[in-house]
Amino acid sequence: MFVFRNYTIENLFDEPVRFSGYDNLSDIPESDSYLWFYIAPIGTDNKQTIAEINGIADKLKFVADSIPPSTPFYILTLENLFKVVVSDTDRIVDKAIKTVNDLAWKIASERTNVRVIDFGEFLSLHNPDTWINWKFYFMSQMIISPSIAPAFKDWWRKKISELTFPRKKCLVLDLDNTLWSGILGEDGISGVKMNGDYPGNAFMYFQEALVSLANSGVILTVCSKNNETDVKELWEKNPFVKLGPKHIAAYRINWQNKADNIRELAAELNIGIDSMVFVDDNPTERELVRQQLPTVAVPDFPKRPYGLMEFYKSLVNDYFRTYRLTSEDLEKTEQYKANAQRASEKSKFTDLTDFIKSLDIRIDIIGANEFNTPRIAQMTQKTNQFNLTTHRYTEADINSFIEKGDDVFCISVSDRFGDNGITGEIIVRKEGETAEIDTLLLSCRILGKEIEKAFVKSVLNILYDGGIRIVKAKYIQTQKNGQVADFYDKIGFTLTSSTDKEKEYELKLYNKLPIPEYYNITK
Amino acid sequence: MDEKIIELMKSAFNTDDITTMTSQSNCEKWDSLHHLNLIVELEDAFDMEFEPEEIAEMKSFSTIKQQITAKQGK
Repeated sequence: MFVFRNYTIENLFDEPVRFSGYDNLSDIPESDSYLWFYIAPIGTDNKQTIAEINGIADKLKFVADSIPPSTPFYILTLENLFKVVVSDTDRIVDKAIKTVNDLAWKIASERTNVRVIDFGEFLSLHNPDTWINWKFYFMSQMIISPSIAPAFKDWWRKKISELTFPRKKCLVLDLDNTLWSGILGEDGISGVKMNGDYPGNAFMYFQEALVSLANSGVILTVCSKNNETDVKELWEKNPFVKLGPKHIAAYRINWQNKADNIRELAAELNIGIDSMVFVDDNPTERELVRQQLPTVAVPDFPKRPYGLMEFYKSLVNDYFRTYRLTSEDLEKTEQYKANAQRASEKSKFTDLTDFIKSLDIRIDIIGANEFNTPRIAQMTQKTNQFNLTTHRYTEADINSFIEKGDDVFCISVSDRFGDNGITGEIIVRKEGETAEIDTLLLSCRILGKEIEKAFVKSVLNILYDGGIRIVKAKYIQTQKNGQVADFYDKIGFTLTSSTDKEKEYELKLYNKLPIPEYYNITK
Repeated sequence: MDEKIIELMKSAFNTDDITTMTSQSNCEKWDSLHHLNLIVELEDAFDMEFEPEEIAEMKSFSTIKQQITAKQGK
């Protein structure tokens, strides 16, 4: 990482980072990523400070223009660490700073390689009097006090991982004394409290907060030791329920071991167990899940109901924050619920083909465009199981493939139960008559209907029409993608070489491949 | 105390090559930035604060030890 800066900030980074000269943009070396870390100039003459701040805006624009469009560029917002306002109505310095930050957000909205990070969030966690240590400032231009440097390092690590690591997908919620106060089996459907005075009001806030999480694409499920009929009656009749069946994608309400229930929920929703977060007020249940399912995240539950809001905040910060929500995130609960319906429909048919025919499956194969590249990049980051090579890409990477002329297609699948949105992708490099599949992945929630085969064959037909005659492909083994180890064999590729970790395949195309007519495919 | 100072120097300069004879002139890693890191660590470990004039003097193991001893004596 290369950092543009105007003060001494070397004390804030442990990892190897290179720094520009102080406010010196004459040299922009090659780097895997760039960071803009300017602090509003320390000064007491407002006019001069504003002139310098305006200069920072110009410099930021220049740097954003100079950095290659496929290299990540992080911008920390400009903040004023030494705010002395003689007249309360005098906001001119604030205004100038806001102009710079507005520009940063504008640049981020126009360029897929740019991310803005709110430095004010970090500062707000600390007393303003501790931001600068003037002794060190005057000795070395060190702008952030050593006393809060360790906290900055933690915050920064978290920020960067938010931008590069996948968020968790699913919350598994207990009911009694977790979503409401009291025990349903003892207190009855109107005896449990989720409204009115304390502690009911705390649970009401908590339920509302979880509904917002569901609306941001987190899948909510319930795993509770209760009588299912009691819970259903409560959901139906208690008017104070905020978090009810319409927010819950799947549930296990029974007296079985919770670890088994969680395994079943993961299978039903077709998501990894490591993407789940388990919330339960009972420490014994938490311990059981921790031991039996070590990859499930199990946060401690607050001891008192008034701790629920802080608890919610830490849930969001630790597991569910993301830089940007995609439209698929926003519709996820509906999609997963439709999936559960499909699963129950499936048991009615004994023959898989009959089942598939009955679904009226529609497959759209769509070339990458500016609307779906965020989703395409996101899927490479998040998809683990049906993923042949597990290359992780950023939006900037995807854009650079497109620029190079590689084929990037994604697949959108719908059936009579609903629209799954964009749920798979393929990246193909082409040279002459030869093509190579760089990436092939599908979301697990559309599997089990042979859509994967129809998708790949359709793409092979597109390649054939484009003059491609030889297609190469690869399977790279990971801990999670064992289920696709033989995928290319099943499609008809020939194995050309294989090691413990990798298998290489080739397929010669002589004509178009047949695809069952019961898929309605559009390209 | 020697031991404690040497440990802090090792961690601040990220090297094991520190003795009671080490000074800025014979230690490559001891640049001005690492110097301040060391001062921060020393202030913390010995629960004292150094003035800029003192910090400018503390450029060898022996001068560091002198400054700390002088402050502890007060």
